[in-house]
Formats: sequence, C-alpha cells, structure tokens
Amino acid sequence: MNRNRKERALKALNIEEPDTVPITEMDIDVPHIETLTGKTFSGQVSLQTAVSADRRMEEIKVEIKTECYRKLKFDVITCDLSAPDGWASVKNPDGTIVDEWGRVLIYDSRCKSWFPYRSVFQTPEDFDRFAFPDPHAPGRTFGLEYMKKIVKDEMAVAAFIRDPFAHAWEMFTPINFVKWMYAKPQLIQKAIEKLTDFNVEIIKQLADIGVDFIISGGDYCEKMGPMVPVKYFREVIFPNLKKQVEVANKRGLKIIKHTDGNVNMLLDDLASIVDGLHSLDPSAGVDIGEVKAKYGDKLVLMGNVSVDSLAKKSRKEVVKETKECIRKASPGGGHFLCSSNSWYTDAKLENCLAMVETGRKYGKYPINI
Amino acid sequence: MGLDVQRLLKEIQDVISELKGVENAKNIVIEALDSGVDPVEVVNAMSKGLEIVGQKYETGEYFLSELIMAGVIAAEITNMLKPHLGRSTEKPVGKVVIGTVRGDLHDIGKNIVIAMLSSAGFSVVDLGIDVSCEKFVEAVEKERPDILAMSCLLTVGMDEMRKVIEELRRVGLRGNVKVMVGGRPITSQFAEKIGTDAYGSNAVEAVRMAKLLVGGGSL
Repeated sequence: MNRNRKERALKALNIEEPDTVPITEMDIDVPHIETLTGKTFSGQVSLQTAVSADRRMEEIKVEIKTECYRKLKFDVITCDLSAPDGWASVKNPDGTIVDEWGRVLIYDSRCKSWFPYRSVFQTPEDFDRFAFPDPHAPGRTFGLEYMKKIVKDEMAVAAFIRDPFAHAWEMFTPINFVKWMYAKPQLIQKAIEKLTDFNVEIIKQLADIGVDFIISGGDYCEKMGPMVPVKYFREVIFPNLKKQVEVANKRGLKIIKHTDGNVNMLLDDLASIVDGLHSLDPSAGVDIGEVKAKYGDKLVLMGNVSVDSLAKKSRKEVVKETKECIRKASPGGGHFLCSSNSWYTDAKLENCLAMVETGRKYGKYPINI
Repeated sequence: MGLDVQRLLKEIQDVISELKGVENAKNIVIEALDSGVDPVEVVNAMSKGLEIVGQKYETGEYFLSELIMAGVIAAEITNMLKPHLGRSTEKPVGKVVIGTVRGDLHDIGKNIVIAMLSSAGFSVVDLGIDVSCEKFVEAVEKERPDILAMSCLLTVGMDEMRKVIEELRRVGLRGNVKVMVGGRPITSQFAEKIGTDAYGSNAVEAVRMAKLLVGGGSL
C-alpha cells in the first residue's frame, strides 16, 4: 500500500508499479467543478493562459479545484502559472480581452472560460515592438505556491507551462505563423527561442517551490499528424524542447509533453527528449498499447480515454474503453489514467466518474484484466 | 498553346505545389499576364497545384503548415487576378455559407477550409463562430448559397448541426442547399445520420466534396 496518493503518483512517474494506477485529469471545466463541489466560482479562468491577477479570486479558484480533486481522490492536481502581481488584461470594446502574450481571448459562457481567438500581432514588426514578458516578474508562481500550501503532500502537484511552439502558433495565429515561417523564418525561430528562455527561467522557479513535475501544454499535432514538417521539429522545435527538459531534469523535475492529434510520427524523437507524453489521442489514431510496447521503459504515459467517448458514449462503453486502456498501458507502471485531454463541459459527468470508478476497480497491481 | 505559355502555367502549378513562396508566385503570375496568358488558365494551373498539395497532405508527405502556405500563395494569386478575371466570363465555382455552430468558439479549422475553398474558386460567406441555428437559416435564405458548411470542435456542436438541418427542413429550405459538415468530433456516420450531403474529414476533403456537390457528381 502506498502511504498517500502523492507517493503513488511519484512511483508511476518513476516508471514503477504503485499499489494502483494513479488517476487524474489535466484539467476540469468550471461547470463540472461547480457540480462536483456544489460551489459557484465567479472568477475568470482560461485553460491556456492567466487572465487575472486578482489574488483572492485565484486563492478561491485553487481552493475549489483542490476540493474537487480531493473529492475525486485524484493522485495528481494541476495548476497554471499566474499573471504577475498587478497585471490586468486589456479589455476591448467588443468584450474580448488581451492577455500578457498578445492573444485576444473571447469568453465562452457555457464553459465559463476564455479562449484564444485572435491576436494583436498583425505584422512581423508588431513582434519587434512587443514588450516581452519578464519571467522574473513577481507573482508568477502565486497559484502554485498557494496550492502547494493547502495540498501539502496529499497529492502530487503538476505545474503547467506552455510549449514555445504551441505558444507562438497561438500568439501569431496559425495562418500568420505559417506565413512568417516561410517569409521570415528568423522571426519565428527567435520567438520560439525567446519563449524557451522564458520557460527555462520559469522551470528554475518551479523547482525552487517544489512542484513534483511539469506538464508542457499546447499541441504539436492535429488529426492527420504534426502541424509543421518533421524537419522543422528537428531543426527548431525539439532543440528548444530539449533545453527546457535538461534544465528541469538537472533540478530533479520531469517534463511530460502534452499534445492532441496524431503524434505517431514524432514518437521516436520525443522518446529521446521528454520524460513522458500526455493525451495519446485515440480519436487521432494513437494506440496507447503500441506506444507502451515500444517506449514504455522510457516514457511515462498519461491517457487516454477518449474525450469524445466521455461526451457521446454510454457508461458501459466508457467502462469498456477504460478497462482496455488499463490493460494496455498500466502493466509495469509508468501510467496515469486520465482522459485524452480534460473533462470538457461537453463530457457527461456520469461517464467521467465511470472512468474513475473503473480505474479504481481494475487498476490494482498486478493488473489482471 | 505555345511552349512559353505551357512553361509559365507549369511554373504557376509548381510554385504552389512546391511552396516556392509568395514573391516567386507573384513574379511568375506577372510574367504570365504580361505574356498574354488567359487569367482563367492561370486559375486552372493554380487549382492543379492545390490539388497536388492536397494529395501530398493526405498521404502524409505534406503537413498542415504546408497546406496553409499553399492556401496563402493561392490567395495572393487570386487577389492579383481579380481585376483581370472581372473582365472575363469566369464565375465562382460555387457559393458557400460557412460558420462554426452555436456553443463553439473555435475557428482554426473553419478558417483553413475557407482559405482552401477560396483558393479553389468558391465565393465564401463566413458567418464566424458561435453561429445560431436562426442565423444559419437566415443566411441560406438571404445568400442563396450552393452549400451550407458547418464546423465544430466541441461535441456540443453536433446537436446544433442536427438542429440547423431540421430547421432548414421545417422552413422548406433544405431542398435549396447542399449541407456539408466537418470538425474534430464529426464522423461520416454522424454526418449521414443527421442527413447531410457531405462530410469533410479535413480541409482538402472538404474542398473535394464541395466541388462534387456543386458539380452534381455522386459522392
């Protein structure tokens, strides 16, 4: 028996078999958190970025999320970086806001969350004029530090950072990113390098406050495969990813790379760079069993009950899919059971809970399904 | 057709299929127009280039960024040709009204489809994101498009698509327009179940289907 859930998570992170498969979610949409806790959250959130530096509201957000993850008996809890002290979003007349990174966000009242929608970067010169955020601005780890304080050693705490490629892709919007990748390749490379330097400094801070591991958010792939040529990954994106992983590993932190989409073509490279992968998107054709067989001794795997199944299938089908996921990915350890992204507002809560119950029932080591 | 014209048209096709950049594309098109090449032939060469890019994307040789870049080059060429095509008899291949359905604010996929449809010669009316059932129906009535295209990333959008089709039926407009859907959670089975005319699993397929729909071909 593991003494606590954090210990269970750390064993899995070390590719060892704990007592049962650890369970978590990369995130849960506010409406589900409200249903599960019976509390209302009136603050501002986004899965992609910090949208407010209201510290009391941030504490409440962390408290409600912690209560939700406790209720679900999750083994890992996640937290984003905070906006720096005193920062405030720019509010546009049309109701959109602009984050610290020049992303224009639109509010989705159904999900109670802000989404990247447009960008302030209309020309390459806009980036030259952009006041690049300071990683050392005080307050960036406010939410994480508060979470560490209230969670203590009950669960492992995973910090989110944003992958530089995915960040630049969103900051510039995909069409401008691609236009400039061809017309001004140095600009895109410089942006990715600057975002990497920012992350490196953040990773050092995350190590100092004692988070247990890092999830690097933002997609590399879509349904058909990588979003940019594999050659570009090897020449520009991966060296910068490696730089972050080396800094983290030197400080005892592992980095799990998240990406939706069909990641199969990048697996060999990723297995030699990162410590683990999150999502392993079954809707895009990723088979967690095949990934486990080939890279299970090197990579921690987080996934991969399909978010589409959680939204559209029956409880019975979700139970079956979860059992299959455990059967393929859990033996030998190094597996965290979770959905292929997060519990969206669309997901049926009954199905999400069925995934968790199935994980508890069939995730006991040694796995016998 | 003279050898020089053939060479120029092949270069236009290649500048797209081999992604040789916007500036190269502009220079070749200027040379072609100055040499008296029919702008309609330039459009046809561009379409062939786009088809090659689409094939390479579907076979995994090209990636999303290359698909987008081909659309960017084609859009630049189309802009250059507009004044010339205005004098010719060339008409849009068809008219498409498109939007992301209500409850969904994602538009990356939709915008790529728009770029590809425009490059392929369609006239496109973009209704934007979070488009209500009423707004889709109004647009079909007002714009009289050949195709109504609906996109979603979230599963909530699937029910919205069904509602739009039911509403089109209820007001008697369903027979006037072909309906096409796409987006991350959409499958061909779902598209068939809700009574669409076509489904595009990616931007390239969406354009192929749109061409078939306006051409009256069987799917």
